[in-house]
Amino acid sequence: MFTLQTWIVQALFIFLTTESIGELIVPCAHIHPESSVVQLGSNFTAVCVLKEKCMNDYHVTANEIFWKTGRVTVPYEQYAVINRTASSVTFPNITLINALLTCNIRMFGQINRSVYGIRIISGLPPEKPKNLSCIVNEGKKMMCQWDPGRETHLETNYTLKSEWATEKFDDCKAKRDTPTSCTVDYPPVYFVNIEVWVEAENALGKVASDHINFDPIDKVKLNPPHILSVNSSKELSSILKLTWTDSRFKSFITLKYDIQYRTKDASTWNQVPPEDTSSTRSSFTVQDLKPFTEYVFRIRCMKEDGKGYWSDWSEEASGITYEDRPSKAPSFWYKIEPSHAHGTRSVQLKWKTLPPFEANGKILDYEVTLTKWKSHSQNYTVKDTKLTVNLTNDRYVATLTARNLVGKSDASVLTIPAWDFQATHPVTSLKAFPKDNVLWVEWTAPDESVNRYILEWCVLSDKSPCIPEWQQEDGTVHRTYLRAPSKGPTVRTKKVGKNEAVLEWDHLPIDAQNGFIRNYTIFYRTVIGNEIAVNVDSSHTEYTLSSLTSDTLYMVRMAAYTDEGGKDGPEFTFTTPKFAQGEIEAIVVPVCLAFLLTTLLGVLFCFNKRDLIKKHIWPNVPDPSKSHIAQWSPHTPPRHFNSKDQMYPDGNFTDVSVVEIEANDKKPFPDDLKSLDLFKKEKVNTEGHSSGIGGSSCMSSSRPSISSSDENESAQNTSSTVQYSTVVHSGYRHQVPSVQVFSRSESTQPLLDSEERPEDLQLVDNVDGSDGILPRQRYFKQNCSQHETSPDISHFERSQQVSSVNEEDFVRLKQQQISDHISQPYGSGKMKMFQEVPAVDAFGPGIEGQVERFETVGMEAAVDEGMPKSYLPQTVRRGGYMPQ
Amino acid sequence: MKVLAAGVVPLLLVLHWKPGAGSPLPINPVNATCNTHHPCPSNLMSQIRSQLAQLNGTANALFILYYTAQGEPFPNNLDKLCGPNVTDFPPFQPNGTEKVRLVELYRIVAYLGTALGNITRDQKTLNPTAHSLHSKLNATADTLRGLLSNVLCRLCSKYHVAHVDVAYGPDTSGKDVFQKKKLGCQLLGKYKQVMAVLAQAF
Repeated sequence: MFTLQTWIVQALFIFLTTESIGELIVPCAHIHPESSVVQLGSNFTAVCVLKEKCMNDYHVTANEIFWKTGRVTVPYEQYAVINRTASSVTFPNITLINALLTCNIRMFGQINRSVYGIRIISGLPPEKPKNLSCIVNEGKKMMCQWDPGRETHLETNYTLKSEWATEKFDDCKAKRDTPTSCTVDYPPVYFVNIEVWVEAENALGKVASDHINFDPIDKVKLNPPHILSVNSSKELSSILKLTWTDSRFKSFITLKYDIQYRTKDASTWNQVPPEDTSSTRSSFTVQDLKPFTEYVFRIRCMKEDGKGYWSDWSEEASGITYEDRPSKAPSFWYKIEPSHAHGTRSVQLKWKTLPPFEANGKILDYEVTLTKWKSHSQNYTVKDTKLTVNLTNDRYVATLTARNLVGKSDASVLTIPAWDFQATHPVTSLKAFPKDNVLWVEWTAPDESVNRYILEWCVLSDKSPCIPEWQQEDGTVHRTYLRAPSKGPTVRTKKVGKNEAVLEWDHLPIDAQNGFIRNYTIFYRTVIGNEIAVNVDSSHTEYTLSSLTSDTLYMVRMAAYTDEGGKDGPEFTFTTPKFAQGEIEAIVVPVCLAFLLTTLLGVLFCFNKRDLIKKHIWPNVPDPSKSHIAQWSPHTPPRHFNSKDQMYPDGNFTDVSVVEIEANDKKPFPDDLKSLDLFKKEKVNTEGHSSGIGGSSCMSSSRPSISSSDENESAQNTSSTVQYSTVVHSGYRHQVPSVQVFSRSESTQPLLDSEERPEDLQLVDNVDGSDGILPRQRYFKQNCSQHETSPDISHFERSQQVSSVNEEDFVRLKQQQISDHISQPYGSGKMKMFQEVPAVDAFGPGIEGQVERFETVGMEAAVDEGMPKSYLPQTVRRGGYMPQ
Repeated sequence: MKVLAAGVVPLLLVLHWKPGAGSPLPINPVNATCNTHHPCPSNLMSQIRSQLAQLNGTANALFILYYTAQGEPFPNNLDKLCGPNVTDFPPFQPNGTEKVRLVELYRIVAYLGTALGNITRDQKTLNPTAHSLHSKLNATADTLRGLLSNVLCRLCSKYHVAHVDVAYGPDTSGKDVFQKKKLGCQLLGKYKQVMAVLAQAF
């Protein structure tokens, strides 16, 4: 790149400063040195040597040389004139530079001109790369990285070289964007020492790093193990067995492992002692775990001797230790309720569920035993946490055990005193005070020993009654706090619909639970509505509110309850949308479809009834200007129009005559009409077969076929239409006719032309006859004459003759035959051609069955087949027919 | 089966074998000395043992992968088609001195390396989509190459062995498809067998 720049600069100066009058291009001067990479801090001297020819031409010497870096003139103090032709410039202690140094001359004492230039770039030679290290990620190629040292400010190439004792490997050239690392091309071969070093090279020097020699197996970073399972043991509820698969390397190197675990809710990891996992293995049993607790594990591995790198951690896997019998008896208390029966009392025994770390499993039920003084005991098995029994006024002893899959807890024993029992040593100095966001209760213990204390309290609130709560404390304490959740769960919406919202929340952290969360309560309300409360089981973290009102702002909060009370979480607001998802689409799409369908039906209806519609709003008004004399009956005396002015001298039309020609329904269809149908079909079949079957063949090419068809049709049209009609200037049914009340016919029919421009008649005839029309006349005539002269010609043969007519022609013909009430005759030539076609006789007689159709759909087609020679209109319909 | 007995050619080493046993080998002068780019590591024998263990640990999988990739009749006729009946395979005496064992190991590895090159070449043609097999063949060839380098280093540095006569396996380039597959299978069967012996011997 640098060299390229230098050459470009030099070339530029050569072109700027040389004379090339029939000679080789020769620069006016040269600068030495050509190489211009300068080390930072060094002195740099350049010498410009003028050519004799330049000196003579421009009358300059080295004294007239001055130097520039870029556009800045170098101070003259740095110059030194060596001799008459050479001048030098010196840059002491050169700084960071990348500039153009030019040698300039001042011609004739006032004109400055650059005669040569070089680009000087300053930089530093590469430093010796340091900290070369390599890593072999399992399954990948070796990658080495290094510290390249100081910035060189020059393009510096780093090459990683590697070799065995017996073999050299290809160099690994660091990419420009990652000059501090390189990944070799060859796969790693383990257990063979390889020597690696880096060479750094730029324009100012080349240096190699220290060589490192290692076995790639000692630089390997294995893939992390994959934990297959975490299994519990029924025999030991404190262990979990971890099994995994790890690197294929374990078949030939010894691995060591690092296993960490934690409970699911904990954030810190526990470490399995490294000495327990210092050899290759595929399973490990972790001990001293809590029963019925979910633990999360992760594992990594590396070479046993510690050479290389630890693998990444495996994906975490979890397992639950097996259950153990409940480790503690539940808290147990009672409440005597008033009873109307004499001699008995209703006692509600109540107890608290054990927290998970004491339940050691799922509590299946509780066993309550009630023993009356000196009497038989009574057993109850209860799934709930309370039991109401009717007791006599005697003293009872109640015991409670919690049972899980493994066994029973120790028994909680509770004495229910006789009804007349009086406590002799009550607790005194009971006081409560808030501290650290909890409510503390403190009391003075009695002198006698106490088995345990029971605290009872309730929340005093205007909104809710006093619901007594209780908690049990050991007999040794005299101060405790009321254990209710310290904070409520933070609820949020997971999904909000038009009439429902899915709420979700996280479980409270253990530290904030202050007990066992019994249930959650969701409170939600609108701005103006009443608050609604919903109780949710404590195991859930999601709930769907239903029957919400759309487009409404809701406020929702949650409270978590333990046996000791509850705590509200922060309030959350959300707004239900106005429309459910997809509702708009569900409305719009059917409406659009219905509209589309209606439109389509309308179009279809109009299409089917177009005749009727057209009859009412756009009846068939023949255009006289498009008339053809060919259609006129030769028996009808021609009407002579000298001019339009003559015809309507006052410029107003007085009447409108719509003329239709009724086909001769008496005439049977000729046989050849069938062949017309076939002809049409064959036209369809031969779509795309343009031109072809000989220029003389009827409709032999597509383009001419169109003309032929059109001509034919136009001829047919005109043959059945009265070409001129009286036109009312005021229009039909309030339609305003054009100002040009009688437009010139496009037809070049002889009569009209001769009437309008008699002098052109001959010319037009000649033109038509000589060029475009005559061949078609011949063609059509030939076709039709075949019908005449060879009536026995096979149907197939006739079909062949028209086989090249494309479908488009046919369709157009058919459409016009069927639907076009207002015939638009085509060019005069066509008309003329038709005049010369006697072959319509071939279609002449026998149009029964089609006559009616022709009558209704258009006069042209009817005439096509029905009145080949007689041009006299047979029927007058709709409006006054003006005999002509 | 035509075997190129290269014993007539005094060779020091064949580090860069290429597919095709018929290609000429570099001929080192008889008085060639051991020149290595850098000194051999002190744990060279340990490395050789590890390499042999590595090769032995993967030999069976390579053998299975090979005959599975060939399709029938190979998987169901292993005894007939893939028996380790390789003639002219270099001998090995486990009870020899270390020097003798290393020389014999060198011959075996050189032989296997060339044969494996031929198999790899053939398989890329015969089973172009068996990428796993190609990969394992290449990895095995690389490991053999490394083993050869280590053995050379050891012979040079400790025993000053200047040259070892080596023999190459059969050239399969002119064989038909079935013969190529069969020879490859026999060779890999032999490879599996001999690696078990070598891994025990060092």
